[in-house]
Amino acid sequence: MIRSHCILRTERRGIHVDQSDLLCKKGCGYYGNAAWQGLCSKCWREEYQRVRQKQIQDDWALAEKLQREEEAAYASSHGVQTQSTTPPQPGHTSLGPFSKFEEKKTNEKTRKVTTVKKFFSPSSRTASKKETQEGKTSPSISRHASFDTDQVSKDFVEFLKNLQKPGREIHKQCRAFLVNMSSKKDLGADELSECVQDFYQNLADRQMTHFKGSSESVEQVMDQVEKYIMTRLYKSVFCPETTDDERKDLATQNRIRALHWVTIQMLCVSMDEEIPEVSENVVKAITDIIEMDSKRVPRDKLACITRCSKHIFSAIRITKNEPASADDFLPALIYIVLKANPPRLQSNIQYITRFCNPSRLMTGEDGYYFTNLCCAAAFIEKLDAQSLNLSPEEFERYMSGQASPRCSSAEGEWPHTGQGAGVAATNPVLAQLNHNLEQLSSISSRQEKVMEAAQSLQADLLSWTESVQREVNDILEKYPLTCTVSAIDANNIDNDNLPPPLTPQVFAG
Amino acid sequence: MGESLPRVHGGAQQHSDTLRRPVHTLRVKMVLLGSSGVGKSSLALRFSKDEFRSTSPTVGCAYLTQVVHLSNATLRFEIWDTAGQEKYHSVTPLYYRGAHVALLVYDITQRETFVRAQVWLKELEKQYIPGSTVIWLVGNKGDLAHDRQVPLEEGESLASNKGLYFIETSALSGEQVNELLQSVAHRVFECIGAQQGGLTEWQETPTVDLRHKDSFNLFASCCKVGP
Repeated sequence: MIRSHCILRTERRGIHVDQSDLLCKKGCGYYGNAAWQGLCSKCWREEYQRVRQKQIQDDWALAEKLQREEEAAYASSHGVQTQSTTPPQPGHTSLGPFSKFEEKKTNEKTRKVTTVKKFFSPSSRTASKKETQEGKTSPSISRHASFDTDQVSKDFVEFLKNLQKPGREIHKQCRAFLVNMSSKKDLGADELSECVQDFYQNLADRQMTHFKGSSESVEQVMDQVEKYIMTRLYKSVFCPETTDDERKDLATQNRIRALHWVTIQMLCVSMDEEIPEVSENVVKAITDIIEMDSKRVPRDKLACITRCSKHIFSAIRITKNEPASADDFLPALIYIVLKANPPRLQSNIQYITRFCNPSRLMTGEDGYYFTNLCCAAAFIEKLDAQSLNLSPEEFERYMSGQASPRCSSAEGEWPHTGQGAGVAATNPVLAQLNHNLEQLSSISSRQEKVMEAAQSLQADLLSWTESVQREVNDILEKYPLTCTVSAIDANNIDNDNLPPPLTPQVFAG
Repeated sequence: MGESLPRVHGGAQQHSDTLRRPVHTLRVKMVLLGSSGVGKSSLALRFSKDEFRSTSPTVGCAYLTQVVHLSNATLRFEIWDTAGQEKYHSVTPLYYRGAHVALLVYDITQRETFVRAQVWLKELEKQYIPGSTVIWLVGNKGDLAHDRQVPLEEGESLASNKGLYFIETSALSGEQVNELLQSVAHRVFECIGAQQGGLTEWQETPTVDLRHKDSFNLFASCCKVGP
């Protein structure tokens, strides 16, 4: 099946295609279609119908078989049930209710079977088949129907809806352009770039002249067009095989790897990574420049570069306490690029240059930062001993890995022989790590102390209750409670000595 | 004053002022070239701050913008500072691609910066398309005249030989800085602005734009047609 597909493809690509290959395989004289397995529409429908009918019959047969099995199983289990669960009840000797119950049960059963049958019924069957059929016939749609592109297309259509007539026109042109581009995959990168740039230019001009759009609205539309077009074309035009972008990417990547030993001091960068806020900005800048590769639209890539640059500016500003100039910025950006080793740096630069609106690259803030990135990349390529203020011998030694500037203070000794603090001083991350470790150990020692104190407190509490108990006991022993009855009360016991209670006297008269 | 004018709702006086003025703003790319330490960045800061309202919060002064109003146009300068260290010399041509103005800055108290300026000029001339870039020779640090190593006449003669404009400024005191920007604006508009496709229009992103208050149809605004 796969092989036949391949053959069909190659035949389609070739100029000469045999007439008989195009005709319906059934030999009805009409043209066939690869999607219909080489049949014409009529024969395909017949064939499909036949296969489907057979499938339905098979399904029915299977369903019936299942039903029979189930019934048999039910009957046997039911037989056991009647014996055990329904003992003959003296009050209900008539078979009436029981048979009714039986009836109900079988009803339930058949209903169950019908649902099973329904599952195999033609309607659901065809639906699922149709789906698979669709999937088979339109590989081109499924291929680039990734979530991203769908979302972008949807957004684009939404955006154009607001523009009414010009929007429809723009959409039509974009679609036509995309179709046109898909046939030009073999063109060189520069030609592709030219095609896209021409398309941008023509579309913008058309909007200006035909729809009397203001340049600002045209710019907005063009941004959306760029987003849509480039998201769709990205896979075929980013780092295309016709160029040596990939080779350059690898070369740059290896170059940056080989330069891992370059320190912030060698580049004369005015960023002090010991300051936490600065190192935070440095990390963010590195993240942003790496993120560039994940974006598809040139403008989004530019935005990553701009964000990265802003973080660098903040870092320099915090370090120097004054706004950063270009003299500070470019070295810092070079340092960030060396630290980040952004994936596919050259491809990304090329892609942006080829497919971004050129005015955005030569002017504007984004353009400025992009230019700086290009400078940084060019500088790294040409970087030599002189540009790092090193002697050529030193540079050679570092490049070959024979020596590392980090332990140069220890005169070529291995780093572990040098003091740990010395290593930490050269590497801010290590310094931070050491600092954190120290803090952690101090916290754990403090916790130990707290635990000790808590335990002694507990012991104290226990001994305190004991001592109190003891004291109480002592006191109780010392001063035993003796109940001595006082004299008055003792006297009172004897009621006889008391004068008789007063009795009311009644005076007559 | 500044590019935020159309957004000012209350200022009736300023508003009517903008309406009388031609609406379009042209963008001008200006590159600052010169050795490090000649005061390029200070000059750029002066351009964008002094007397004018700063258009962006200054995290850095490598990229700044400034709006200059002329009688018949508004120019929005994009000021590109370049790294002046000698080791970056080979990569700087990337900066002045598509620049309308190049300022060659040197320090009048340091002769070597004047020599370096001539090297920049040679480099610039390789890329230079006559009529597309206006070049100024700027002798900075005029306030340190007592330490002067490059006489005024030397700068003037170099400029006239090479067909450049010349001025001496002081970024520290701000002397002649605004004059420089004003005359640059005039020259640029005269030399390049008139050409077809010389300067492109600049548009602020229309967030709170008065012209769009009534209708949101992007194509409804009619008063601006591109060059």
